Amino acid sequence: MRPRPTGSAHSGLGEWLLQRVTAVYMGVFVLYFVLRFAIAPIDVYAAWKVWFASVAVRIGFALFFASALLHSWVGMRSVFMDYVKPMWLRFVVQLVTATVLLILALWVAQILLGNT
Amino acid sequence: MEHISKRPVYLNLFKIRLPIGGVVSILHRVTGVFLVLLLPPAIYLLQQSLQSAATFESTVRILGSLPGRALLLIVTWMFVQHLYSGIRHLLLDVDIGVERTTARRSAWLTLVVSVVTLLLIGLWMT
Repeated sequence: MRPRPTGSAHSGLGEWLLQRVTAVYMGVFVLYFVLRFAIAPIDVYAAWKVWFASVAVRIGFALFFASALLHSWVGMRSVFMDYVKPMWLRFVVQLVTATVLLILALWVAQILLGNT
Repeated sequence: MEHISKRPVYLNLFKIRLPIGGVVSILHRVTGVFLVLLLPPAIYLLQQSLQSAATFESTVRILGSLPGRALLLIVTWMFVQHLYSGIRHLLLDVDIGVERTTARRSAWLTLVVSVVTLLLIGLWMT
């Protein structure tokens, strides 16, 4: 098999699509969330816990945060590619960003999988 | 790279007339970066709200306080501005509103609608 050059012609399209799919999901989720709480506000802890205990809600949140973190990665990367010119510095800021986003993902997972 | 850096550069920021599409595009980026920075505090608040009745109460109190509500309004504006210019982006992707006057109008529209949304939410909050 012929080795593929590192920047495949494909990779840009994947990010482009990812950015849009995650955007649409977040838009729909936030719309649902806002409407849900505008119609029937929850202001008691017990009710909030009950709502959040539902598997569907947790999956909804999990997909939302996954979308937000992936969307952040693609967005921040394109900002860095435009404004951070020295390659070593771009590498450093991208590494830091990726690490922070991964930590946030673990944190969210801890909350969503928690026995709350 | 030497020859690139030696090219003459004209970059007088006060003389650049950025078209409205450019302004909205930059706002999309700036609001996007701020929204990324807001992810950790948002996750923290979610965690606090779920931890115990006491932390739930204090989260509600923080968000309901005057600085809390002011911050929420700013965040809301950043979010809806990013959302509306993002929707404009998606429409441009599928060739809707690509024509220059339409594109300029839709750029203005994102600003107008985001401010209107902000005012409505501000009214609803008070």
